[in-house]
Amino acid sequence: MSHVSYEEWEPVIGLEIHIQLKTRSKLFARSPNHFGDEPNTNIDVIDTGQPGALPVLNQEAVNKAVLFGCAIDAEVASFSKFDRKSYFYPDSPRNFQITQFDKPIIIGGKVIADVEGKSKEFFIHHAHLEDDAGMLKHFTEFAGVDYNRAGVPLLEIVSEPCMFSPKDASAYAMAVKAIAQYLDVSDCNMEEGSLRIDTNISVRPRGDQTLRNKVEVKNMNSFTNMEMAIEAEIRRQVRAYTAHPHEDPAKVIASETVRFDLEKKETVSMRSKEEAKDYRYFPEPDLPPIVLSQEFIETIRKEMPELPHERFDRYVNKLGLSEYNASILVNEKGLSDYFEEGLKTCKNASSLCNWITVEFVGRLKDSGTPLFKSGILVKHIAALVNFIDQKKITGRIAKEVADIMVQVQGKDPELIIQENPNFQAVHDTSAIEPFVDQVLSENVQSVADFKAGKDKAFNFLVGQVMKLSKGKASPDVVKELLTKKIL
Amino acid sequence: MYRKTAKALRDGFIKGEYTASQIAAYFLERIQILDQDLNSFLNVTADRMMKKAEELDIKRGEGKPVGKLAGVPIALKDNLHMKGEVTTCASRFLSNYQAPFDATVTKLIEAEDGLIIGKTNLDEFAMGSSTENSAFQVTRNPWNLSCSPGGSSGGSAAAVCGRLCPISLGSDTGGSIRQPASFTGTVGFKPTYGRVSRFGLVAFGSSLDQIGPFANSVEDIAMIMEVMGRHCEYDSTSLDVTSENYLDHLSTSLQGKKIGVPWKFLEDFDGPSAEHFAKGLQAFKDLGAEIVEVNLNKIKYSIPIYYILSTAEASTNLARFDGVRYGKRSEKAESIDAIYDLSRKEGFGDEVKQRILLGTYVLSSGYQDAYYKKAQKVRTLIIREFSEAFKACDIVAIPTTPTPAFEIDSIPDPLQMYLQDLYTICANLAGLPAISLPVGLDSDKLPHSIQLLGPQLADSRVLHFAHQLEKALALSSFVPPLFDKEIKL
Repeated sequence: MSHVSYEEWEPVIGLEIHIQLKTRSKLFARSPNHFGDEPNTNIDVIDTGQPGALPVLNQEAVNKAVLFGCAIDAEVASFSKFDRKSYFYPDSPRNFQITQFDKPIIIGGKVIADVEGKSKEFFIHHAHLEDDAGMLKHFTEFAGVDYNRAGVPLLEIVSEPCMFSPKDASAYAMAVKAIAQYLDVSDCNMEEGSLRIDTNISVRPRGDQTLRNKVEVKNMNSFTNMEMAIEAEIRRQVRAYTAHPHEDPAKVIASETVRFDLEKKETVSMRSKEEAKDYRYFPEPDLPPIVLSQEFIETIRKEMPELPHERFDRYVNKLGLSEYNASILVNEKGLSDYFEEGLKTCKNASSLCNWITVEFVGRLKDSGTPLFKSGILVKHIAALVNFIDQKKITGRIAKEVADIMVQVQGKDPELIIQENPNFQAVHDTSAIEPFVDQVLSENVQSVADFKAGKDKAFNFLVGQVMKLSKGKASPDVVKELLTKKIL
Repeated sequence: MYRKTAKALRDGFIKGEYTASQIAAYFLERIQILDQDLNSFLNVTADRMMKKAEELDIKRGEGKPVGKLAGVPIALKDNLHMKGEVTTCASRFLSNYQAPFDATVTKLIEAEDGLIIGKTNLDEFAMGSSTENSAFQVTRNPWNLSCSPGGSSGGSAAAVCGRLCPISLGSDTGGSIRQPASFTGTVGFKPTYGRVSRFGLVAFGSSLDQIGPFANSVEDIAMIMEVMGRHCEYDSTSLDVTSENYLDHLSTSLQGKKIGVPWKFLEDFDGPSAEHFAKGLQAFKDLGAEIVEVNLNKIKYSIPIYYILSTAEASTNLARFDGVRYGKRSEKAESIDAIYDLSRKEGFGDEVKQRILLGTYVLSSGYQDAYYKKAQKVRTLIIREFSEAFKACDIVAIPTTPTPAFEIDSIPDPLQMYLQDLYTICANLAGLPAISLPVGLDSDKLPHSIQLLGPQLADSRVLHFAHQLEKALALSSFVPPLFDKEIKL
């Protein structure tokens, strides 16, 4: 795999992100919008395309789309409408999808994302409402269709071609995901399909203004895969253009749809755009247009919770977290909310952040369960941090307590310390004094250095006493004794 | 009993002159005997009707209040759902399709103690003007059995005309209630678009379809409209207005009212139909109304506009009939594409296929601007022309059909058949309430009618004018001779 020369070639990337809106019922029916149930249990006459059934728009889906539009600073259309998109496929119960073709509910907008430490703006072309299809299930002798997903509301967010690297694309996608999660408009769970991304990729010689043919990449089920797929497709296009420098670029790379082959780490052709179907869009006669008043839009805007970039700013500017730590928390709403909960009982934000993102996340890394979904209560982590700050335990002991908190999830660290005398810091001077005496007699040079004004030497001596006490001695008591004995 | 209007039947039932079970048994027997000649019913729901009638008799016996349609037998066009009964749409494709839910109109009728008697024949998926496009049987005109009752709601028209039931429901996309009403001398009403819920009506052209009633008097039309004409949360195009009171307004005088007639558009209209149309207008004049000329020249474009818009919508509405989930699945099919191709090939008749092809074509990329989009623009112009016309008059009067009922098999050319809708389509394009009312019989003993159109939402006004005209024309004994006879139980 040759390395892509980004000096000579500029990739241009646009994303179509589908998010399933988190509503109680379907976009046009009263059947439940719920993932993971027995096939064909969350269906009704509308989801299965029965003759005589009519769609009725779910207001909750409209509200969520409007909220998303407000969050990305877009224009929320006062007039939008639905259209029929015709194609035959067994998972499509009416053999047409109800979507918004030329009058989408959300127009424009922008998303700010952190790309390798730099804040960038990405622009949205529009976002529209449409209904999801069912799912085909293949068995050895036959195929079946599960219509549970049919009619689930989707918001398709179409970006401008405004990304120029795989990192741009994944940063933008993660930012969109974070916004949707903060607004509680979607779970954005890629494994469950509530977040699905199609990418459009073209490359051109750096400096060129015109766009060359774009290729759509489908079948990416994680952000890591998406980055790899984009990288692979860019590489393929650059290789092709480099190999045919004198040919018409439009003939070198055709507009087509490809999928990413995870094993080969290559993109594989699915169908060319010339074979693309004629969807025969026309206005859906069963649904009146969506007409929204400015007052209504403002009412929704007032419900806006704290957005990810606002939370990021607060973490950095008010709580003093590093930008790196702030973005780790903010990009995972569940973890960030977990941290927020911890802040209620712990004032040391940076230490709490460190214990959450490094110590506990690290200890759970191989379990596959994210910390915020585990049985470990954040108030217990907060308590642990407080114990350290109150010098009830040392950091070293705290790590041992943390090990037990991971093993016996939900156990109160206070109880863990009570049950284990070894974890209780020794404040008793008579128990510590022999260690102090031993260290002073064995480190005459350090004592002399300290007297000569070298503070480092003092810390060394403290460390030696702590070592002898196996970390249990209260550092304050150790310092007090050392100072008294040396001076 | 067959000569009674729905209102008279209900009154007699309430007074205790007969029971609901007697009414049900009587009309079921009438169908048993007389429908052999007519073929108006595809399915007679006798068991369900008798059960409802018995329940109603118990209800009345206990002194409980009874509904607005108590004891009135009502037939449904077989593109309207009755839960558990087959809805065929007169198509082979749906010959085994059991409706999984009740249409809103079915619910409303049964909630008011109406007795649904069965499902009537139609042109397949309501596509046609003669009921000859039914996959199952050809319905005949009670006035002359060799003639067509019109279509697509020909079964519902023939059943009411032959006094097999006092009220029936049809659907009207381009004239499918009014043209058969005209051919059978019954009263047929297409309400304002959105007045009656389409939930449970198998769609043909969604922006044009409207359910409406047939009866033998305007008063009966008003009676069932009070039950059906209400907002429905299952149909997003259902009008969100309070239901109208139709019966109270019927008897007001027409003195000084203005009847608009588009004379220029009617230039070529002549013959016996034109004479009957003139007779209707004269009756209005006698009632003190004034005839004024209005400009509705753009109606002449309505046939091409209609066949673009209705087929475009139909091509997608009928896409769901694919053999995957319900209805016909070809036994020869061995792949998913073959299931689509063969099931539709075997399940649909020629007219339906023709309209799906036409609709697919007018929506195709490269043709959409020339056909579909242009047609939408002309539709808007027709709507505007009507709103201008209604500034100068209260009601517009035009003929319902160019000719009286034609003989079965006499119009083999579909394009000639489409001309049947010349006077009826405009009301669908503009969403207007329109009624067809008989004026008289010609020398061949075939009925001729007049059509009255009102502005959107003026359903009550249309019924009012029609009721006054009906009284003035005194057509109370308008029963086809072959069916003007009592049966023995």
